Amino acid sequence: MDRKKYRIMMVSDFFYPNFGGVENHIYYLSQCLLKLGHKVVVVTHAYGNRSGVRYMTGGLKVYYVPWRPFVMQNSFPTLFPSLPIIRTILIRERITIVHGHQAFSTLCHEALMHSRTMGYRVVFTDHSLYGFSDAGSIHMNKVLQFTLADVSQAICVLHTSKENTVLRSGLPPEKVFVIPNAVDTAMFKPAVVQPSRSEIVIVVISRLVYRKGADLLVEVIPDVCRLHPNVRFIVGGDGPKRVWLEEMREKHSLQDRVEMLGAVPHAQVRSVLISGHIFLNSSLTEAFCIAILEAASCGLLTVSTRVGGVPEVLPDDMIILAEPDPGDMVLAIERAISMLPKVDPQVMHHRMRELYNWHDVAKRTEIVYDRTLKCPNQNLLVRVSRYLYCGVWAGKLFFVVMIVDFLFWRLLELWQPAEDIEEMPDLTLPHISNKETLQKTE
Amino acid sequence: MDHHLASDSPQVRPRWRKVAYGGMQPGFDDNHTDESFLEGMVMNANVVRRDMLKVMLDSVSISEYLCIVALVVLVWTYTLESTIDENRLLCIDVSLLVSGFLILLFTREKISLSILVHHYFLNISFFIMGLYVLAPIYQTLTRSISSDSIWALTVSLLVIHLFLHDYSESTVNAPGALKNPALTSCISVNASVVASVFIASRLPSRLHVFAIMLFSLQVFLFGPLVTCCIKKYSFRLHLCFSISLMVVTLSFVYMLRCLLFVLLLSLLVFVNVVCPYWLIRIQEYKFEINGPWDEAKLCFAIRD
Repeated sequence: MDRKKYRIMMVSDFFYPNFGGVENHIYYLSQCLLKLGHKVVVVTHAYGNRSGVRYMTGGLKVYYVPWRPFVMQNSFPTLFPSLPIIRTILIRERITIVHGHQAFSTLCHEALMHSRTMGYRVVFTDHSLYGFSDAGSIHMNKVLQFTLADVSQAICVLHTSKENTVLRSGLPPEKVFVIPNAVDTAMFKPAVVQPSRSEIVIVVISRLVYRKGADLLVEVIPDVCRLHPNVRFIVGGDGPKRVWLEEMREKHSLQDRVEMLGAVPHAQVRSVLISGHIFLNSSLTEAFCIAILEAASCGLLTVSTRVGGVPEVLPDDMIILAEPDPGDMVLAIERAISMLPKVDPQVMHHRMRELYNWHDVAKRTEIVYDRTLKCPNQNLLVRVSRYLYCGVWAGKLFFVVMIVDFLFWRLLELWQPAEDIEEMPDLTLPHISNKETLQKTE
Repeated sequence: MDHHLASDSPQVRPRWRKVAYGGMQPGFDDNHTDESFLEGMVMNANVVRRDMLKVMLDSVSISEYLCIVALVVLVWTYTLESTIDENRLLCIDVSLLVSGFLILLFTREKISLSILVHHYFLNISFFIMGLYVLAPIYQTLTRSISSDSIWALTVSLLVIHLFLHDYSESTVNAPGALKNPALTSCISVNASVVASVFIASRLPSRLHVFAIMLFSLQVFLFGPLVTCCIKKYSFRLHLCFSISLMVVTLSFVYMLRCLLFVLLLSLLVFVNVVCPYWLIRIQEYKFEINGPWDEAKLCFAIRD
């Protein structure tokens, strides 16, 4: 069946050269969609000197819009002034679907708002879990309610995330698809020569902050070292709680059994992982936890706290869950050590290749895009009146904001007509044409 | 892990599982919503169900403190108008001190005469000595500032003090208290002390200043401790004390000015009757959501 090819714009504040879950997700998803024949353009804000248009692997075009990040890598929320540039990019690239990522990104919310004003189809992917009770979460949820009032479809990375998003935004659950992240199994291969099992090495790689359970580590490591004399720890990562870990090392004289590596650059994560047998994750809250997937792909058995969406991520024979309590975690580590002889890293790696695959993610995203385009495009009043349900005062405010946005768009259409914006022709990449000439000469 | 059933009949499809691995589950779309959707959600787990009468009785402590502050302002006004002279003020101070000690002695279970002498008596004597020595400084502190600014500042400081005051327990704790006071209660105590200093600086003689400072600081620093002890000892005693205090305050304010009496009365009615009713009404809309997405709470004490 010849599938329809889409022209997709991915928009988020978080992209390369920043490293993280959302950035990797956007990059890998875009690459796989490009391989499936769609056209993908990424829009993000400028990073330092990196401003303007850049081309990445596979012909992925990235627009680094010249706005400075404001706080935590987010661009300054400007509401209406971002309409002209978004409109120009949408018309120039002849976009059919706009795909926004991450609820915390102001650029994403603005771009989705403007795209809906101009009548484009919109998909939103949420990558994080939020609470409901503190001031920051309450405001975030209201903004999310605004953006998702008129979105075509939404994607969440886990079922727990879907429940969280549905509660926060009031979307009907049928509109939310669950498509998980995946891991690049080609990059995370187990070691060719396995480290010897006479000494069991437990690896921890995370930022050493409260949220990632550094306090639990401080309690768990001495107990485990005391109970199992042949266990060694490797702790990678840095943060404010590093001081307490160093203190714990000194207090229990574990300098030769606990190795602190400091911050580990992303390129060296694999080499740290393959030197161990067990991966320990002690986070207090986790939306998806790619680190667990990377560890499993390298053939390590995982021990993790039962928080957030972690129970859904790996099958029971590849992960051992514990409550976020030191005693329970020590028991879980003991179970993992006893399970270790039955674990074969290569088998685990091959299983991970079956379980998580970026091409599968791209295909499922394609289905979401198909569903999006099947949605009827309603007229302005029907669409904008959906915003009135957002709240007694907020609904009316959002309604006014969207009407003003619509009027501004009409003004721009008169002032800078769409015909004057030059449309970008599609590029054919040289490596594809080289392959064809190679095939001809063979 | 295989979730394909080795089934012969094509109609039976495998059960939907709440997992993320393994790609699309056969027979189910990605937006399939199971019956187990939101089954981990817990609503209103920590919400306290309130009773109107209990809330009204609890709000009596707020109005009691409002009356205490009103009485202090009354004494200030009379002193500034020279209706009360310094000797009378000193008598008021001494009687307040003595009655405060007696109340503490009778209502605290763990106190004994030796603790009273050693801890309180010594500290209070040092305190009084220090105040007397520093009185000339307060007297000349705001000589260059106009009276209007002083009244405006004092009123705003008192409003801040009332707003941020810790109505549940006292900031100045008796020996053996465990919890440290919160930031807002420290700010409120400071605001009241500064307001007292401003008023004291408007008075003519050194003795005046000393007497009014002693009075104000006694009430603001030790008043909450005394009322807290009464409340802990017996609720009935607390109720009687508060109601009599309210009656006394209202009558004194009536004698001073009628408009202020009306204001104070309406404020007390608002705090005691209207606010509890409002709180009970809007409690029905409380919707607290907890679930697996919440951050886990550690059961042991962490160090920062």
